[in-house]
Amino acid sequence: MKTFDILGYSFSTIRLRKLRAALTTLGITIGILAIVAMLTITQGFQVAVTDELNSGLSTNSLIVTPGSSQGGSEGGVTISLDDSGFKLYLNDTSDIQNLSPDIDSVLAVISKVGMVESDYLNSSVHVYGVDYETYARIYSTFDAESGTIPTNPKNDTIVIGSSVSDPDKNGTQFIVPGDSINLVWLNVSARPFENKTYTAQVSGVLGAVGGFGFGGPSDSGVYIPLSTAESFFGTDVCDMIIVKLTNSDEDTIARVTDLIRDHFGNQVSVISSTAIISLLSTVFTTIQLFLFGIAAISLLVAGISIMNIMIVSLIERTREIGILKALGMKSRTVLMIFLGESVIIGFIGAILGIIGGWITAKAVVWVLGSGLIIGTGGGGLAITPVLTPIVLFGSLAFGVGISVIFALYPAWRASKLKPVDALRQD
Amino acid sequence: MTAIIEAINLRKTYMMGKVPVEALCGVSFSVEAGDFISILGPSGSGKSTMLNLIGALDKPTSGTMLIDGVNVGKLNDARLSELRLKIGFVFQSFNLIPRLSAKANVELPMSVADMNKARCSKRAIKLLEIVGLKERMNHKPTELSGGQQQRVAIARALANNPRFLLLDEPTGNVDSKTAHEIMSLVHRLNKENGVSIIMVTHDQELARTARRTIKMFDGEIQSDMVN
Repeated sequence: MKTFDILGYSFSTIRLRKLRAALTTLGITIGILAIVAMLTITQGFQVAVTDELNSGLSTNSLIVTPGSSQGGSEGGVTISLDDSGFKLYLNDTSDIQNLSPDIDSVLAVISKVGMVESDYLNSSVHVYGVDYETYARIYSTFDAESGTIPTNPKNDTIVIGSSVSDPDKNGTQFIVPGDSINLVWLNVSARPFENKTYTAQVSGVLGAVGGFGFGGPSDSGVYIPLSTAESFFGTDVCDMIIVKLTNSDEDTIARVTDLIRDHFGNQVSVISSTAIISLLSTVFTTIQLFLFGIAAISLLVAGISIMNIMIVSLIERTREIGILKALGMKSRTVLMIFLGESVIIGFIGAILGIIGGWITAKAVVWVLGSGLIIGTGGGGLAITPVLTPIVLFGSLAFGVGISVIFALYPAWRASKLKPVDALRQD
Repeated sequence: MTAIIEAINLRKTYMMGKVPVEALCGVSFSVEAGDFISILGPSGSGKSTMLNLIGALDKPTSGTMLIDGVNVGKLNDARLSELRLKIGFVFQSFNLIPRLSAKANVELPMSVADMNKARCSKRAIKLLEIVGLKERMNHKPTELSGGQQQRVAIARALANNPRFLLLDEPTGNVDSKTAHEIMSLVHRLNKENGVSIIMVTHDQELARTARRTIKMFDGEIQSDMVN
């Protein structure tokens, strides 16, 4: 019997019991819907988070912070909160620079929390003392949207993040290039505490970077020249050193990481941005597998219902199978007719599930973004569900596959029926 | 004339629980091409077992059953199916597929035999015309009378140009007038188209219409005579 005729016969049996077939198909649809919705949302979330990270990170840079690090360099991310009293100093940058020819440039960062006072606005900010030119070379996002970032800044120059200028993110800039602002810092190391202030001239306002500014420019940061920071904060201790490498090879990252660690007697943490992204990718993969597992359970239930329905159908159609065999139909063809039914049900169910899953994902993202649910509105991340070809074709194959697998036993039983016994059935 | 069926010392034993029951006890006969024979016997005589063996639906416990020269007992499942394509089975209860039209029912064995759709359709129409049901070919079995259903079943049995028609109580489920029509058709197919007929029945009157009658009783052939 030709394949087309087999599928035609299978379809005629499905049409015979439309409601039963529709309910069986619905099981597959719900399972695939859950899988597609969950995977497209988490993949959309992953893309959004990775994009945010990529815009705030430089893939060929390492961030060195004080604190002993444990473990090997394989993971690339070894952060320790252990405070052994070890400190990094500004002049450590030249030592690091000389460690390897793979190091392009080294940047020291002094970071404190301070206040910005202007005519219209007082706000708490992170103050970073950096070398503007090197910082801009490492992070492309250290770029002025308005004003300029001078290569040879004066001592009172300041560059501010977008949300310092426009805290409401509605286009109303409270501080613009050319303004004078007071930078206030409370020195809690001094006894009694000392309030230090100086007036700075705003040279540039950065473009919006996004939520994650790990090491790189942040929307809520203000940037002053390193020498100014050194004298204003009265310290030559830096909070982190950013190392830009000549390339972003994993080998280079691992080698330089080890060199820096060894140089400081394993008393520093060295973090690579690629390692952070890869760690996040691993976390997302785990989450996706977990969610897939949950959704797959519903598909498993659908599969069992297909098996159940097929067995009922087999019992009802025993005589028909006997007739078909008496007419000369081979056992293999009977098997194919039953499997054909499951392929049709699985295919239609999976297609509807994919469409339904995509619509559900869109709806969920819309509801989360609209603030209809308390506490979810106005989140920093704009998530767009992502339907990759793997999810699309994978869920289609999974839906059809589950249907076929669970139909195998009833189909096999049908094919093994002896015509003389089957014809005796009423 | 060549033998289309040759049964040599056929035995068939069934297990009723743990008790063996002999349904056929060494039966031998042969049927020539173009013949019209009836197998007559009361309930329990072994005629249904004989029907299953002639229809290649079952294998004998011992003995040899040759259909068109092929030993049924030595065939595997797939080869048995191929052999059944050469047998035109007409069941007592018609056994049409209820959701298919009369034409689709007649097309089914041809489709099973891998015939292309256009040829299937053309031949189905021709066969329905032979049995006088061309006008009702798009009707489903439930929309046809018992006699009409039996005629569709005969058309279906003829679909693959079988070596013989095997009829199981062909008039058992129809009234006497329809029974007469059905038997007229069967005789016409035998005389005009040269179709070999084997008819299994318990009806003596019906059996006498065949050219030869094999009488069975308790799993044995009681008599084998020309009418």
